[in-house]
Amino acid sequence: MPFEFILFIAMVGVFVVCAFAIKLPVSLSMLAASVAGLLVSGNGLGIRHLVEGTFGYVDTILVIATAMIFMRAVQESGALDALNIVIIKRFKSIPALLLPMLMLVAMFPGMITGSSSASVLTAGAVVAPVLILLGLPVAKAGAFIALAGILGMIAPPVNIPAMIIGGGIDMPFVGFELPLLLLTIPPAIVFALVLGLKHVKKVSWEEIAPKLEVETYKRYGPRLFIPILVVATLMVLGKTVPKYFGMGLPLMFLIGAALALFAGKRFNPLVAAKAAVADALPVLGILAGVGMFIQVMTLTGVRGFIVVNALSVPPVMLYVAIAVTIPLFGAVSSFGASSVLGVPFLLALLGKNQIVTAAALSLIASLGDFMPPTALSAIFAAQVVGIKKYSKVLKYLIIPSIVILAWALVFIAYSKQIAALY
Amino acid sequence: MQKHHISAVIISILMLAACVVAGVTFLEHRKVEPIVRGPGVTEIVKLSKWYPGLEGTAADTDVYIFKGEAPGGSMLVLGGTHPNEPSGFLSAVLLIENATMASGTLYVIPRANNSGFSHNDPQEGAPTGYHFTLSDGSTRFFRYGSRATNPIHQWPDPDVYVHAASGQTLSGNETRNLNRGYPGRTDGTLTEKACYGITQMILAEKIGLSVDLHEASPEYPVINAIVAHERAMPVASQVVLGLEFSDITIGLEPSPKNLRGLTHRELGDATDTLAVLMETANPSQGRLRGRTDEALALEGKDLYYIKAQQLGRLYVPFDEKGHSIEERVGRHLSALIEFAFAMSSEYPDQPIEINGIPAYDELQQAGLGAYLRPLQ
Amino acid sequence: MKIIYLTIAAGVLVLTAWNLWTEKDWRKQATAAMVAVPLLLRVLLIK
Repeated sequence: MPFEFILFIAMVGVFVVCAFAIKLPVSLSMLAASVAGLLVSGNGLGIRHLVEGTFGYVDTILVIATAMIFMRAVQESGALDALNIVIIKRFKSIPALLLPMLMLVAMFPGMITGSSSASVLTAGAVVAPVLILLGLPVAKAGAFIALAGILGMIAPPVNIPAMIIGGGIDMPFVGFELPLLLLTIPPAIVFALVLGLKHVKKVSWEEIAPKLEVETYKRYGPRLFIPILVVATLMVLGKTVPKYFGMGLPLMFLIGAALALFAGKRFNPLVAAKAAVADALPVLGILAGVGMFIQVMTLTGVRGFIVVNALSVPPVMLYVAIAVTIPLFGAVSSFGASSVLGVPFLLALLGKNQIVTAAALSLIASLGDFMPPTALSAIFAAQVVGIKKYSKVLKYLIIPSIVILAWALVFIAYSKQIAALY
Repeated sequence: MQKHHISAVIISILMLAACVVAGVTFLEHRKVEPIVRGPGVTEIVKLSKWYPGLEGTAADTDVYIFKGEAPGGSMLVLGGTHPNEPSGFLSAVLLIENATMASGTLYVIPRANNSGFSHNDPQEGAPTGYHFTLSDGSTRFFRYGSRATNPIHQWPDPDVYVHAASGQTLSGNETRNLNRGYPGRTDGTLTEKACYGITQMILAEKIGLSVDLHEASPEYPVINAIVAHERAMPVASQVVLGLEFSDITIGLEPSPKNLRGLTHRELGDATDTLAVLMETANPSQGRLRGRTDEALALEGKDLYYIKAQQLGRLYVPFDEKGHSIEERVGRHLSALIEFAFAMSSEYPDQPIEINGIPAYDELQQAGLGAYLRPLQ
Repeated sequence: MKIIYLTIAAGVLVLTAWNLWTEKDWRKQATAAMVAVPLLLRVLLIK
């Protein structure tokens, strides 16, 4: 038995004990597992490695923290409630359109931040009550926003797993928009309809209107949406004329948050920012913990053990290996799975269209956010809809996950044909 | 004081202690290792001599000049473009400490990305450095750095890196990659300024041949190879033949026209120099490696790479012998000897004759430490 | 731009530290501390 395997079991074992028996948060369980890996491998406490590992996500931490501040500000100003009113009013008579619209709204923060958690905790938190108002069972509403979280994370313009995978083979994150849209939008529409359509049919505006907060929208009108529009515009400009608008997401979000102060309801910016960071901290802590975990896995050779074993499967089994190992590893982190397994698998698939394949691998990696024990997306979704046991949400995510896997594998298998479509 | 404030204080103290312990290591990493001035070095200047905008920045770096006894052609060796690829840097160090010029001029920049030597890449678990034992029993230490400029010196990265001269886009972290920034510019990032300095130096000194020394992970397709600008192809072909006489197999690849910002493309396009880049096999920077430590960087032995080789996933042979630093540096140095020879035969009126470079076999037998000079 | 981002990092660091101080649960405090470490070392220009 290779020593790396024993180490891997030791690290996972400590994680499981900490997370389930001692009920520590995922972040601290990751820290404990990393320390265990360092000690067992004879690296001592390895403080430098623990600290250095967190730096892999220092930019991501800033993106998520500022995104949460922005979303909080937008929420406090009343813009998110107003957005839902506009959507429900316009599309109430055609639920076949309303549900996909709500799905897109819930996906939006994930699309722009590349973080499923940001999506679920912000726009998801606003969409979920609407879904419940419309008649969806609570757990299904949770599954709805959890799916929006991972599909939003993969949908363009920002897809961090795809960037990580591409970066591993010197491939720029360019030309990913269309394949990513093809990978995410059709499933998003289908899942929205399948989860919701049979529940929302009979709801009328008169019934739900009293339950919505319509005062803010009446009072401030469309100017409520200025911060969202400005941030969206800055993002487009950042992509199209990076020379002048390449300021980066954190600064864009803070500009948007500042505008939200003046666009609608008044709120205390410091209190809102503190609350936003408090909401983000569990996720940021997990990122820091994952950074440590990956650093220790790399240092000790566990990473090599996993990667080489994943690559050892016979070629016919390669797709099975991709479908099984990437989501499983995603239990640690979907970003980690992208880097550790996504890159070698992409190298093993060199004959395919690289962009379509990397995009599809990133979608598979996103499923890691449903994978217990971390299951970020599902846990936050359960938290948002107020369910104690996230397994109730998870139940509704099993079939969509299988569909997503199959959809992504089809993209890999027919990558060249798909690339020829556009 | 409330109960939760007590725990907050304890946790904060622990956090600060971790910051101090790690911070000391991080600061230690900025200490520049000495390189002993060898008999052939006639002058040591800073890169800012050619582009004063670099003066006082972390990108300013030492340029070792070897003026030959007789006039002749000129050659530039870039080591440490990627400070996590030790053979490039160490080949430059061995040149500085051993080489002498009979004719022509040699320029050596051991730390082309000087800032990159001052940190390690997160999540790579890299050693901070490695040691050699010298013939007199003393030891020398060299830093193992990062592929890219230190974020302390250049931050934040844009989401997407746009290569200024071509508009080519790459993922944002490539902004700090020296070998994506050529020919460089004065109003760009620190990394682009370093590129600009090197380009200016080649222009001002009319350097005939520029060799950029690299390493690649064994699963990367371009490895144990020379990548040559189209004008450098005739000389590079001679080198490939010359190395084959010494039983060193090396591939030759044309510099891709559409991959911009790299030395073998941009230095060849922007100046009259013949631009080439060379790669050796370094498992300590690969994704499939097992335990990462100083031994891996120096001995290049790795069980998982052997397994990957058996699976047909690699682009270099890989067995129990691994790829030692002596082999990797030996390959680079042998190729440099051949390059000097090829330049002299291609341009007989501008000979480049280098002496004192350890031969491949000697290096394997005596070890690299035997060719390092003791510190005073 | 570097100065702006160092300021943003410092801001997030302060908010994180503030949460660490007001949070009642030690586990959440420790999580905040884990996040604060890279932010602090970046703001101090150490790593």
